Amino acid sequence: MPTIYIDNKPYEVKAGKNLLETCLTLGLDLPYFCWHPALGSVGACRQCAITLFKDKEDTQGRIVMSCMEPVKEGACISVSNATAKAFRGQVIEWLMTNHPHDCPVCDEGGCCHLQDMTVMTGHNYRRYQYKKRTYLNQYLGPLLNHEMNRCIQCYRCVRFYKDYAGGEDLNVFAAHHHVYFGREKDGILQSPFSGNLVEVCPTGVFTDKTLKQHYTRKWDLTAAPSVCQHCSLGCNTTAGERYGKIRSITNRYNGAVNGYFLCDRGRFGYEFVNDENRITQPLIRNRVPEAVDEQSLMDHLKLLLTQSRTLIGIGSSRASVESNFALRQLVGSENFYQGVSLDEAALGKLIASILQSGAVHTPSLKEMEQADAVLVLGEDIWNTAPIMALSVRQAVMNSAAANALQQTSIAGWHDAAVRELVQDNKGFLANAGLTASPLDDISTCTLHATPHDIAVMGFAIAHAIHPGLPEVPQLNNELAAKAAQIAKALQQAKRPLIISGPSCYNEAMIKAAFDIAGALNTGERKAMLSYVLPACNSMTLAMMQAPSFEKSIDRINDNTVVIILEQDLYRSIPPAKANAFFNRCKNLIVLDSLHNGTTEKAQVLIPAATMAEADGTLINNEGRAQRYYQVFVPTTGMVKESWKWFWQMRSLQTSSGNGLELHPNDWLTKLEKTLPQFNGISRVSYPPEFRIHGQAIPREPHRYSGRTAMLANLAVSEPKPLQDNDSPLSFTMEGYPNRPPASLIPFFWAPGWNSIQSVNKYQQETGGALSGGDPGIRLLEQKTGTPTAYFTDIPEALPAPRNKWLLLPAYHIFGSDELSAYSAAIRELCPEPYIGLSTQDTAELGITDGKNITLVAEGEEYTYPLKIQEHLCNGIVLLPAGLPGMPALTWGSWATIAPSLKNNAV
Amino acid sequence: MQALTNRAKPVDRKPMTFVERLYLWNIFKGMLITFKHIFKKKATINYPEQQRPFSPVFRGLHVLNRDEQGRERCTACGLCAVACPAEAITMEAAERKEGEENLYREEKYAAKYEINMLRCIFCGLCEEACPKDAIYLSETFAPANYQRKGLIYGKPDLLIPDPVTQPEEYKQALGNRANKQQQAN
Repeated sequence: MPTIYIDNKPYEVKAGKNLLETCLTLGLDLPYFCWHPALGSVGACRQCAITLFKDKEDTQGRIVMSCMEPVKEGACISVSNATAKAFRGQVIEWLMTNHPHDCPVCDEGGCCHLQDMTVMTGHNYRRYQYKKRTYLNQYLGPLLNHEMNRCIQCYRCVRFYKDYAGGEDLNVFAAHHHVYFGREKDGILQSPFSGNLVEVCPTGVFTDKTLKQHYTRKWDLTAAPSVCQHCSLGCNTTAGERYGKIRSITNRYNGAVNGYFLCDRGRFGYEFVNDENRITQPLIRNRVPEAVDEQSLMDHLKLLLTQSRTLIGIGSSRASVESNFALRQLVGSENFYQGVSLDEAALGKLIASILQSGAVHTPSLKEMEQADAVLVLGEDIWNTAPIMALSVRQAVMNSAAANALQQTSIAGWHDAAVRELVQDNKGFLANAGLTASPLDDISTCTLHATPHDIAVMGFAIAHAIHPGLPEVPQLNNELAAKAAQIAKALQQAKRPLIISGPSCYNEAMIKAAFDIAGALNTGERKAMLSYVLPACNSMTLAMMQAPSFEKSIDRINDNTVVIILEQDLYRSIPPAKANAFFNRCKNLIVLDSLHNGTTEKAQVLIPAATMAEADGTLINNEGRAQRYYQVFVPTTGMVKESWKWFWQMRSLQTSSGNGLELHPNDWLTKLEKTLPQFNGISRVSYPPEFRIHGQAIPREPHRYSGRTAMLANLAVSEPKPLQDNDSPLSFTMEGYPNRPPASLIPFFWAPGWNSIQSVNKYQQETGGALSGGDPGIRLLEQKTGTPTAYFTDIPEALPAPRNKWLLLPAYHIFGSDELSAYSAAIRELCPEPYIGLSTQDTAELGITDGKNITLVAEGEEYTYPLKIQEHLCNGIVLLPAGLPGMPALTWGSWATIAPSLKNNAV
Repeated sequence: MQALTNRAKPVDRKPMTFVERLYLWNIFKGMLITFKHIFKKKATINYPEQQRPFSPVFRGLHVLNRDEQGRERCTACGLCAVACPAEAITMEAAERKEGEENLYREEKYAAKYEINMLRCIFCGLCEEACPKDAIYLSETFAPANYQRKGLIYGKPDLLIPDPVTQPEEYKQALGNRANKQQQAN
């Protein structure tokens, strides 16, 4: 470790870093704009100037940009030296000449990096008195607001959008002092990572448009650490509330999971919490009035639950571990099912058993970024797990950079230089999918084929790597060539990554992915295998090995009570099947937060809390258990966590206790004892009585305003502050004022750093893990010495039935997820329902694009307009999955297609 | 015990004589003081008919200001609320829509603005923090109220009358501040 001298004080620092990172890691305040820990240095803003001395005797020194200067043994620098200070002051004064004086109306105000840096340099009086340059703003879609006048030309937005996230429609135009960051013309930003511009932009050029609808300053938000509910990756978020409404979602840095970035679905998909459609009162149907208070509900439940009836519980992949386990405890393990179709449950079980076997390593998103060859087998990760696609893109870029850097001595953080060196080179990515994906642009090898062909190619790759595995009979030449190419590239890699998932409803594909990873695992090569899952907590149900609820149908009679936890069964099976199921349920209890088809059928409907009103744990696709914390207590209605309701029901059965005795941690301890596969999960959070110096951790910043006025219009007498008995967080601004432990950070703030850039004060080193380790407990670790139980059942090629198409889902980042589609902005971006067919199939059928066609699957007819999918392979029909208002289909079944008669006549 | 200062007077603990115990002389002394006050100037005034001059820095009831075209100046930036040591101000911001340019001066405004007058300590920090000259403390006392909830002031209670449509009321509400402004100019 080299020693450097900063202002004559020696520091032991890490080699290979630049001086700006080093200073920030050491806790020194040094202003910067264009540098970003994830984006590297370009030296564009000249803000991080320091003085570098020749040696210890040198008193003159010279000004250098700290972000462009590597750490050298014995280097003498000064941060506080007068010349450097004056230089930085001058730079910010230049930057501020054109910056408008509109902080009071700017959404960034109070969490603005530019404000912080201006104050840090001490520039507080504007000498520039002339006209400022102004721009026209653009319409960038429903998610982002554009206000170009505020721009300080740091170039971070295009560097993130184009270089990091691979977007193509945001660019920089013009020259001199007219530089313009925007699109070629007004229009919706196409990248699903565009929301990150809000945090990447150091000032208010790009701001959250959904926040504008209910604007609140950062200091006025009651915030809590949360976990994204909209896909299986479990990105960490910070949810902010005021006046009983979730106001915004911001990124919560987790070095192992999402790092600095979120996808737009996660960032803007929060408005289901505030939806009018929320269930706030318990309902008992066929009663007047239907809405009842807690006592009558409990009386009714007591009748239902205690008359020695069989209870059937249907767990939910979007409810917490605690809620699912509490339901399992209430109904008994043999009566516990999950609310997905038979196929989906089987695929989930297969994935969980592969990962639980411990034969291969399943990586975190951060580890994926370090992969040097990636194979995506059949999963459309761009739409089902967007941040994973972003990680794969980084892996491709990083490995290209690593190759290029072998010949030179340039450091990796020299962003512009490295890009110049890399040019268009890419690391190895093979993307096999049904149809085109934005990842195809960066992939070396692309395959658009049927799930069967993809799976077979997978087995062929495994055979090529490990000749002991069975050979695929009658492999066609194209697949054989691709398999050989991919196998070669994977064998040359040191850290190959295989990604697959259940979205093609193909078991063989999942098995093939495991075989490849297993075959690659040798002494010096560590293969990584990652599966995407359908929902945020699918892993829990898969690990509990809950069977599909379709298996419970025969067990339901007039004497059974069915309890459905937080889900809409109409989203997992076709309406006819679901109706048949509900017709058998005479006693149906549903717990959910929003009204839907399933809640309509409930005899007893109980309001369940969403992530904003609940404490709970989710297990993501890598088996990482993460706790999300309650953000606020709803003032109206009787919304409660499902696990609390279940324990209350349990206490009705046993006639002891009041149902409030158990905290989430107690549930997890119980879970560990009951199901050993969850061992370690109780360490996911601190116990509710955890205090630092006797103080809880405040959810509100110390600048929180309006404490005595906010609710004064409702009740003048100020009630006692709300208590949180389930977590070490408090609902007030009083409490431990310093940095809390990593898993309990409700918001990022440090003295002088009000913006989200303050995260560098919470990290062990800038861009590294949070102090005290990144949050989350991994439950699926690789076990050394586990033999790899290869799958050898290569599926036989069955000829497709005549005039039939394989019905498969097309996932959409906006629309396929149930909860995020409640946000108005996201709904605007949802596609219209369609039926997708390949060009050749369309030509053979003689139908034209946009015309209504009818699809018949399992006896049900669906009529939607045809959308020709240029890259889709023949023999497959794609329908968007899970769009609001679209029924569930039997994915993976054979369907027939006919031109629609009734609609074409109109 | 040693006295801390030399100003302490020893108490005379001698028992009172019979004449002293009658208190006649002391009563007379007290009455004399009372009688003398009849000829002195009154300490009180006949409020509200008569009013005392205010100190130039007097801080009374809050006013939400408008500009000369009658548009609300407040942009709901939240600085008054964050400056308030009693945490007595709360607001909700809203975006100005097209066609509302004659109502609100800037692109944002306070859809809701409330001050808990029971909590307010009239320190004037809100006025000091306001970057838009939108809130100031006037020379009016906060009136009393029969109910506590009547002292939660909303926008209707706080907004100054429109100078365009209600010039008289506006002038009255401005009070002495108008003179002060003229003097300043």
